[in-house]
Amino acid sequence: MPEDPSGKVSLPLIVDRKTTPMRRRTVLSSLTALTAAALVLAGCGADAKDDASSAGGAWSYTAGDGKTYTADKTPTRIIAHAYAAKALMEFGIKPVGIYADGKVAEDVGLQGVDFTGIEILGEEWGKIDAEKAVTLAPDLIVADWWPAEGVYSGQEEGVEDSAKKLSELADVVGPAQGDSIVGVIEGYATLAKSLGADAAAIDSAKATFDEAVARFQAATAAKPNLTALAISPYDDVYAVAVPKYAPELLDFQKWGLKVIDPETPDPEFPYWESLSFENADKYQPDVLLFDDRNAPGGQEKLASQPIAANIKAYAAGAMTNWPAYWLHTYTDYTAQLDKLTTFIESADENTGE
Amino acid sequence: MVATGRPSATAAPTTTTPPKVSIAKRIGLGGGLLLALGALAVLAFFSIALGSRSITIGTVFDAFFDPSAISPDLTVIRDMRVPRTLLAIAVGAALALGGTLLQGVARNPLADPGVMGINAGAALAIVTAIMLIGVQSAGGYVWFAFIGAGISTVLVYGLAATGREGATPVKLALAGAAVTAVFSSVTSAVVLANVDALNEMRFWQVGALSGRFMPVFWQLAPFLIAGSALALFAGRPLNTLALGDDVARALGQPVALTRSILFAIIAVLCGAATAAAGPIAFLGLMVPHIARFICGPDYRWILPYSALLGPVLLLACDITGRVVTAPGELQVGVVIGIVGAPAFIALARFRRLVQL
Repeated sequence: MPEDPSGKVSLPLIVDRKTTPMRRRTVLSSLTALTAAALVLAGCGADAKDDASSAGGAWSYTAGDGKTYTADKTPTRIIAHAYAAKALMEFGIKPVGIYADGKVAEDVGLQGVDFTGIEILGEEWGKIDAEKAVTLAPDLIVADWWPAEGVYSGQEEGVEDSAKKLSELADVVGPAQGDSIVGVIEGYATLAKSLGADAAAIDSAKATFDEAVARFQAATAAKPNLTALAISPYDDVYAVAVPKYAPELLDFQKWGLKVIDPETPDPEFPYWESLSFENADKYQPDVLLFDDRNAPGGQEKLASQPIAANIKAYAAGAMTNWPAYWLHTYTDYTAQLDKLTTFIESADENTGE
Repeated sequence: MVATGRPSATAAPTTTTPPKVSIAKRIGLGGGLLLALGALAVLAFFSIALGSRSITIGTVFDAFFDPSAISPDLTVIRDMRVPRTLLAIAVGAALALGGTLLQGVARNPLADPGVMGINAGAALAIVTAIMLIGVQSAGGYVWFAFIGAGISTVLVYGLAATGREGATPVKLALAGAAVTAVFSSVTSAVVLANVDALNEMRFWQVGALSGRFMPVFWQLAPFLIAGSALALFAGRPLNTLALGDDVARALGQPVALTRSILFAIIAVLCGAATAAAGPIAFLGLMVPHIARFICGPDYRWILPYSALLGPVLLLACDITGRVVTAPGELQVGVVIGIVGAPAFIALARFRRLVQL
């Protein structure tokens, strides 16, 4: 038929620059830099600038990367990753600029922080406005150190070149992420003290926090058989968190809550065991802990699945949220622990199997 | 044949339908249909018996013959696999029939719901619903997808139908491309600005049968079934249209009216299917060609074949997606792309497809 046009087969729409990296990050796990960055092997974002530092300076700090950084005077113009900024600000150290992994207003880990007067240099993982950063004339960059990857947040493999430029503006320092949130918070406390924070205020925040831990331990001790499963249902995946890679879940385990270790973490991305909803009843905990970064979406997702009724904890309504991968301050951790303590006190340790 | 705008009475051929099919061939084609039906039944059984969760055959039978039995296995079968299978059958038939009608009415061998702006319209409606009303569940945005698909079909047809010679194949293709472009860019703009919309779209976009249960099936079944039934009767007008507008007109067929009725059926079929399972690529494009490969150019045979082969293909791909990556799952839209593309290329190499 001569008049037949050669019809154009359109690709599925919205294949554009933003969807693709976002998709990769979200599909791989969920929404944080922690997870987004976890696949990459050791990078070399932290080329130490030891040569630039002068021995015996007025300021010195041993960072998570193991190196000791020094300067003639205490740094005052700090650019920080948003979570690091929140940690520093709790101790009274206010940065001049921050960069976040997503929209600051929407990040559950950044609620209640007043960033007025602070320049926001990025609200998307891997993107930092280096030109604006230069105009801030920073003398220190602060972010979490990721030992497994050997990089600081914001310098991971896969970020844009402009983001990497940030590390050329000043030394990048910060405490190491590890197997406990407490370690991270204490690391920020030490850094904040070196930057002039009030040690008494830090000690008082820590004392309040320690009391919360004691209450949590008392609650779990009263329910020695209570088991919990940390989950993040999304799309058609029932993702079960692996405590080994979730420092707050490791803390909970340490403080007496039996958070279930999934049997077969995903081989290429061991942060989760991804189950299809057909298999969502594989684990039968007494309580379910939902990833709070996707709340209430995760609960709604599970609710829409017929198998939800076969998860005893869900059927019994024994569920709450867990602060997933974002805790950086005593205040937040205290509040979250208190919520969980109340929840545990009213939980039934015979719900699951 | 190029439309000259001057219908000539001398152009009328002696037959109004393709050459008479011999009795032997008819029996062969009828047997083929039975074979396809058998394959569909077998696949439907596998779709219920197989999955990322392993369930014994005995338990599968319990699910149907022992209504009092209750267990997680039975929940998975009754409430997850059965709706999914029914949906696959209905969506597969609707997409395949919609594709057949679309290729026939647009006389374009590459026509499928993606080309005619239908997917783009459904996608835009979904993101709009998420953004403006906060709809979050598949059951909630089904209606919006349906309406969006319908609106874009009407729009494409309306754009193409303006002008003296009506909705010619060329104008249909151009209007489809234009509407797709506009809707896609608006959708992109919304999704870039709205994380919720992005997350929902991300999943819907792939085309999936999981996560959609009985309510979604009941919502759309009337449209899918009625549309499919109507489409099966479209064989004769499609055969006439295939001869070209001039000839069809000379044979006394009201070309514009026929086109608009067929388009209405297409809108219902593709709209409901896309609303139910997302934009599943390839099926509407490929199945009509397979059917044509089996039974030649007569739409009275092509249509029933499409109606059976569509679900066969969709179910086969869905089962594959459930089994290959167990205990996880691969969305059917992904499988059909991976399986479909090479198969389609092979088919295209095997035969001259572009004869419509």
